Amino acid sequence: MIDIPLADIFDKFPDRRYIMFGGKGGLGKTTFSAATAYYLAKKGKKVLVFSVDPQASLTDIFKKDIFGKGPTEIMPNLYAQEIDADRRVKEYQQEIRQKIFDMYGMDKIPEEVESYIQAAAAEPAMEESAIFDEVVDIVIKGGYDYYIYDLVPLGHALYYLSMASVYDAWIDKITGLREQMREYDQVAAVMKREKELDEDAILNELLYIKDRINKSSSILTDKQKTAFFFVITAEEMIIKDTLKAAELFAKFDVPLSGYIINRVLPVGLRDQNIPEYLKNRLTMEEHYLKVIDATFGKQILASVPEMERDVTGLSMIEKMAKAMFG
Amino acid sequence: MTGQEKKKKGGFFQAVKEFVYGVAAHDSARFAMKTRASMEHLFILITMGDMLGVPILPPYYSLRLLPYVVPQISTWKRRMLREKDFTDALA
Repeated sequence: MIDIPLADIFDKFPDRRYIMFGGKGGLGKTTFSAATAYYLAKKGKKVLVFSVDPQASLTDIFKKDIFGKGPTEIMPNLYAQEIDADRRVKEYQQEIRQKIFDMYGMDKIPEEVESYIQAAAAEPAMEESAIFDEVVDIVIKGGYDYYIYDLVPLGHALYYLSMASVYDAWIDKITGLREQMREYDQVAAVMKREKELDEDAILNELLYIKDRINKSSSILTDKQKTAFFFVITAEEMIIKDTLKAAELFAKFDVPLSGYIINRVLPVGLRDQNIPEYLKNRLTMEEHYLKVIDATFGKQILASVPEMERDVTGLSMIEKMAKAMFG
Repeated sequence: MTGQEKKKKGGFFQAVKEFVYGVAAHDSARFAMKTRASMEHLFILITMGDMLGVPILPPYYSLRLLPYVVPQISTWKRRMLREKDFTDALA
């Protein structure tokens, strides 16, 4: 059933240093991120696993409070980070206020400007954008062999991706407008025989924003450096939604490396004396495993059993890594 | 006005230069600047649109632009929100 084991992907493509697990909520993205980080760290690679989700759960899985503390060592070679989006947004707001103070020597921010700053921070997309922006910092800074993104559920991940391409087109447009405005400035300056024009600070700012967005979207869509895995379970809805999402991801050029099936009930279970309810679950699962096999075929890289208890703490993570990578 | 200050320093040639500018180019320059001002308002609309309830740019990045447009914001809001009437033709 599994032609290429998951571990082979990592051996065969050592350049794929940005690892992402995507899928619907609650299927095990964080678990797989942690287990993969553990596996690679044990192999001697320096790994940073970080959460892109404002409702991050790395703290829970590693049983160590890492929220807002920067990259924290979990064990040798394994670092984990949860971004405190709220704090980042607050610092950013303050930066903007300071800039206005510095530029205009005001002692108080005008009321409508201040209310705009506050309203902007309350937007739901604000936290996500702040995290996205910090991820760019993390990746540019470097220092790790592998970066593992503990991604947000599908819908949000798609939002990130589309945001990158929409932003990009949008910023191109307004940069164009800004450049056109500069031409008019030049015309006026030439006619009035003024000397050099001041630099257009806004244009520079736009180019900076464009650069940041390009960097983050180029990581997500870099075929050489990125490996994106979908997490699925043997259920009808999950299979259907994943198929839809995979199509959309393909549209955004996300390099899909394969699928991992999670929560497969242990094989020996059927031979035991089990209640009707579990028998039905097993029959259903068998059916959908066949569907998965027919649908995704050779792209299935691993089939991971349902564990006897929650995956939290390093010893369970180790067990999970064994199940994933053998 | 910087023009008046220059006049005192520049003397005769400066006066000639400004006369030629006034006759030949002042109107075009004024037109260019007026177009430029309209574009500036358009620019603020597409970056700061949510101030009027038109969300366009994701706010994280529009905040970065905010400091630069602080001086224009009140005139821009007035321009965008006012009703159009025949006096616009005179403006």
